[in-house]
Amino acid sequence: MAVAAVPSARLRSRAARRAVTGYLFLLPALALMAVFTFYPFVQGLALSFQEWDGIGATSWVGFANYRRVMGDNIFWASLGNAGIFGVVGFVLGNILSLGMALAVNSMRRGSTFYRVAYYLPGVFSVVVVGMMFAWILQGSVGILNRALGAVGLEMLQRRWLTDPETALPSVALVYVWFHWGFGFLLFLAGLQGVPRELHEAASIDGAGAWGRFRYVTWPQLIPVTTIVSVLTLLGALQIFGTVQVLTNGGPGYLTEVPTLRVYKEGFQFHRFGVAAAMSVVFGAILIVLSLVQIWLGRRSGGEGE
Amino acid sequence: MAGTNPLAARIATIAPREGVGSGTRALRLLGRIGFHAMLAVVAFIALFPIAWLLLGSIQTIQELYRGMTIWPAVPQLQNYYIAWTKGGFSVYLPNSLFYSTVSMVAILLAASMAGYALARIEFPGRAAVIFLIVAIIIVPLPATFIAIYKLLVDIGLANTRLGYILVLVTGGLPIAIFILRGFFMRQPKELEDAAILDGCNAFDVYWRVMLPLARPGLAAVAVIEFLRLWNEYLLALVMFNSETLMPVQRGLTKFVSSDTPEQHILLAATAMAVLPVLILYTVAQKSIIQGIMEGAVKA
Repeated sequence: MAVAAVPSARLRSRAARRAVTGYLFLLPALALMAVFTFYPFVQGLALSFQEWDGIGATSWVGFANYRRVMGDNIFWASLGNAGIFGVVGFVLGNILSLGMALAVNSMRRGSTFYRVAYYLPGVFSVVVVGMMFAWILQGSVGILNRALGAVGLEMLQRRWLTDPETALPSVALVYVWFHWGFGFLLFLAGLQGVPRELHEAASIDGAGAWGRFRYVTWPQLIPVTTIVSVLTLLGALQIFGTVQVLTNGGPGYLTEVPTLRVYKEGFQFHRFGVAAAMSVVFGAILIVLSLVQIWLGRRSGGEGE
Repeated sequence: MAGTNPLAARIATIAPREGVGSGTRALRLLGRIGFHAMLAVVAFIALFPIAWLLLGSIQTIQELYRGMTIWPAVPQLQNYYIAWTKGGFSVYLPNSLFYSTVSMVAILLAASMAGYALARIEFPGRAAVIFLIVAIIIVPLPATFIAIYKLLVDIGLANTRLGYILVLVTGGLPIAIFILRGFFMRQPKELEDAAILDGCNAFDVYWRVMLPLARPGLAAVAVIEFLRLWNEYLLALVMFNSETLMPVQRGLTKFVSSDTPEQHILLAATAMAVLPVLILYTVAQKSIIQGIMEGAVKA
């Protein structure tokens, strides 16, 4: 008792030495994160109340940047576009990735090929994907229009990326093509965690394929579904490079997205304070959204039990 | 299991039993064909764009615009040569290789040190540091590039190699620390204790005992980080003015906007930006896919 209550000086110095060792190991990582993660975070908040043209000194302007953001219709429209990317990526992407994960998981042989093939688009860069599809969707000589012409569907031919009706859906589909493989792999990992005995027990009890999915597989997949949903939605809302390369927000502002708007506000119009205010507003929306989604996931997880 | 749930039991009684009639057998064969056709169609859609890019990158401009060619009469390797010399890819590709390699090594070092300390050394504030790192991973902070750009300008590191690498490394740390910490936690403690008895200090234990044990984890982090670093675009877009410093993704969009190259050269240029990734993916697909799937299970 007495020993535990009054640690000897040697014990204390050993604990102190351990603390020093611990922080020495952490030093490089913590120093980098302090300078390039936390400081910019604080500075970004400060900059949203300042004026800066990218070169000169900054000056405080109060809420002027935020007032400007509130009145910027293109910014709010760009949020709407991001919302469409989010919904399409979320619905279509999740259906595709869950469906294909179920299919590949049920295979006895040859699943490696499909795994590798389906995830392949996910290792490309935004620029490469943009270049690829700019070429495929090209109006006069692109392969999509040529293929449509070859099978007699000339009336469907479009200038996909500059036609106001098809620009946004085209970019959204490219986005799904680019990223669904990630959800696919996560669902596949979740499915492999479902014990086979559960399925067998359910079959013996007479459960059909749908019953087995609904009452055996699905409850086990809810945590993965939550992760995939949060990541696909947040990812789609933050889309940037693919849009910049494919349409640069056009035609007009029909495919403008928030990150692209922030970029243009800063690096084209040299209003970095307004750009910072935009990213603060955008960030707040994303944080609220991800919290709501995690909360929804928790709730439906509770119901499944 | 399903029997304990009344609704499931009801569904089970309604659900059709597996039949054995010849009609069902034919239906089942049809279903199997449909199943494999669906898998194959999706694979085709996933693979077609890259195949089309690579096939186009070795055609002449006439072949490309006629649109009837799949494999060119004479593969035009000079498309690549033109992109390499006139397109500036002889500068961009080595730049990317340099940025990605240096950043990857730095991430592995800093993240494995931090991950080791967070897994094995007990010190006050450890829980807070772990919480902080998880928070950085989870909380979405979009468009931080404005503030990071301001910081780089302020400290004189905008448009420099060092500035780019420092930000790249920092961006990779949280997840790498998290994965490697998990790896260290799963290693047996005995080897460490033995090393300490032999008089090794904490750094020796980390460097000589733990790092070699964590080699599979390091490899997975290395490959996944390399892909991320090679593909990085946004930061390179905002911070580089000098073409001599640009990595390949930024160089590619620079090439498009300033030179407006012909389509066949552009395809060859794009192929050069993606070929290293394709090679890495082919060689390391197992550890890439496993890394993503395991990361998901742990999260």
